Amino acid sequence: MTATTDTAATRRHRAQIRQRRWAPYLFISPFFILFTCFMVVPIGAGVYLSLTRWAGLGSPEYIGLDNYVRLFGDQSFGASLANTAFYTAFALAVVLPASLLIAQALDARGLKLRDLFRLVYFLPVVLSPIIIALIFGLIFDGEYGLVNAVMEALFGFGGVSWLTDPWWARIVVVVLVLWRWTGYLTIFFLAGMQAIPRELHEAAEVDGAGPVRRFFSVTLPQLRPVTAFIAVTMLVNTAQIFEEPFLLTQGGPGESTLSVSMFVYRAAFQRQELGYAAAAGVVMFAIVFALGRIGSSALGVGRTR
Amino acid sequence: MNATTPRRRRLRPARAGLYATLVLLALVYLAPLAWAVSSSFKDRSEIFAFPPQLWPDPATLFNYATLLAEQPFWRWMLMSTSVALISTVATVLLCSLAGFGFAKYEFKGKRLLFDVMFSSLAIPFAVIVVPLFVLVAKLGLAHPLFALVVPWVAPAFGIFMMRQYTEQSIPDEILDAARIDGCSELRTFWSVVLPLLRPALGALAVWSFLNTYNTLLWPLVVVSEPQYYTVPLGLQALFGAEGRQYNLVLAGAVLAAIPAIAVFVLLRKQLISGLTAGAVKS
Repeated sequence: MTATTDTAATRRHRAQIRQRRWAPYLFISPFFILFTCFMVVPIGAGVYLSLTRWAGLGSPEYIGLDNYVRLFGDQSFGASLANTAFYTAFALAVVLPASLLIAQALDARGLKLRDLFRLVYFLPVVLSPIIIALIFGLIFDGEYGLVNAVMEALFGFGGVSWLTDPWWARIVVVVLVLWRWTGYLTIFFLAGMQAIPRELHEAAEVDGAGPVRRFFSVTLPQLRPVTAFIAVTMLVNTAQIFEEPFLLTQGGPGESTLSVSMFVYRAAFQRQELGYAAAAGVVMFAIVFALGRIGSSALGVGRTR
Repeated sequence: MNATTPRRRRLRPARAGLYATLVLLALVYLAPLAWAVSSSFKDRSEIFAFPPQLWPDPATLFNYATLLAEQPFWRWMLMSTSVALISTVATVLLCSLAGFGFAKYEFKGKRLLFDVMFSSLAIPFAVIVVPLFVLVAKLGLAHPLFALVVPWVAPAFGIFMMRQYTEQSIPDEILDAARIDGCSELRTFWSVVLPLLRPALGALAVWSFLNTYNTLLWPLVVVSEPQYYTVPLGLQALFGAEGRQYNLVLAGAVLAAIPAIAVFVLLRKQLISGLTAGAVKS
């Protein structure tokens, strides 16, 4: 090798190394640009708007913390918080274990048609919520609905006002959540179970552990990362629930199924109280973000190595 | 093998119970959908007949014909599919690029930037919807194609997913080989990394397509002119309209579900393995 080609090669090598230094920033920059424009700036603007009274015309009028004071006394907001807490608790306490059980059933060795079952359970995720809500609305209709008709035929009693009774309406909303999300969570649990080394199960079996024992001392601990991921995802998603109550019950009867997201939507786009809606959004942000962060770091979500 | 065979025989009743449960559950999932498809071919007055008829009798195309004659359904469909397709292409590119950046480079601030990116998953839409609406509407960015697509083309979930996949399936040696051959970093990404990511790209594409195709809240906020309605918006307007024309909405719902179900059934294996890859290994 001559001296000249050597330096040319080194120069090229250096250029490559320099490029390697800034390339990752270039690659991740689209996310951070969009994140800044469409999340950071809006959150900042939202915090500012929350300190104002504004109907969308003219300029916002600064009113300090009045919106927050009003929120604390607002029964609708309280109701929406309570309902959202109920939906979220249901998602974590019922939907999550249900999908774990289904995944366990689908993980049975030598199960036939596994792919078909998984496909069917996953279907609701594929459908637009408007489609699902329409179908559920008609099926649970208080007068003509299929559910009441079936109950009438089976038990001679089918007069339940599913969507117009406050408690039943909440139940229908969570049934919809259960129906819509269980299959989605199932595929995560199932993938997690299939990634568990078979030797672990075999070793436990040799030690005399039955299926139940194996589930609790092999499957569950091995599923920890998946469970953490799912729990946090579900927490953040259900805390923002909008479509199910909005389409199925319009938040009613009264405000018994109203969620926080619906509260914000109504305040902003039906009553034009943009400042007030922004304040509700900020409160929601504080709660969801705190819970999401606490959940993630407690459970160690998102970290590799 | 021989040792397990008699064991399995003994478990037969349990197996039968397992299958029965799974089939029953499948029925719970399929019945509402079957009912909707069947009802969409029924006369409006027959929809609530009891016992419900699985096969519509008389079967009629009236609901479909009326929907397509009275509502610009194909226009909604065109809007929905264009938004979904444009978003999907952009999302797949931007997320795989960022995922590659996070997976295969060491750089200052990487950990912090990754944490920021990951935390953004926990930002509820409710806090940005009002100011974002103001931003978009007041700053004249309100063309629906812009407003429906641009803010959402680099979702953190997609980046996270691509990072996990890239980390697991792209060996560093391949990258080094490409560099020794004189490829620039972007070139390495485009012609070496991207082809290897194909399964994950498929998953991300399906995920992104279904998300944008089905989404309701943001279009509801930002699209006001009926000529830019997406399918969920159109159906929502029809559903909320006087007289509750649920027979038409049912027909529209069935038509709208066809592309989504087709995409899913064709690409389900990719979608499921891609979606779960990140969650399982982390």
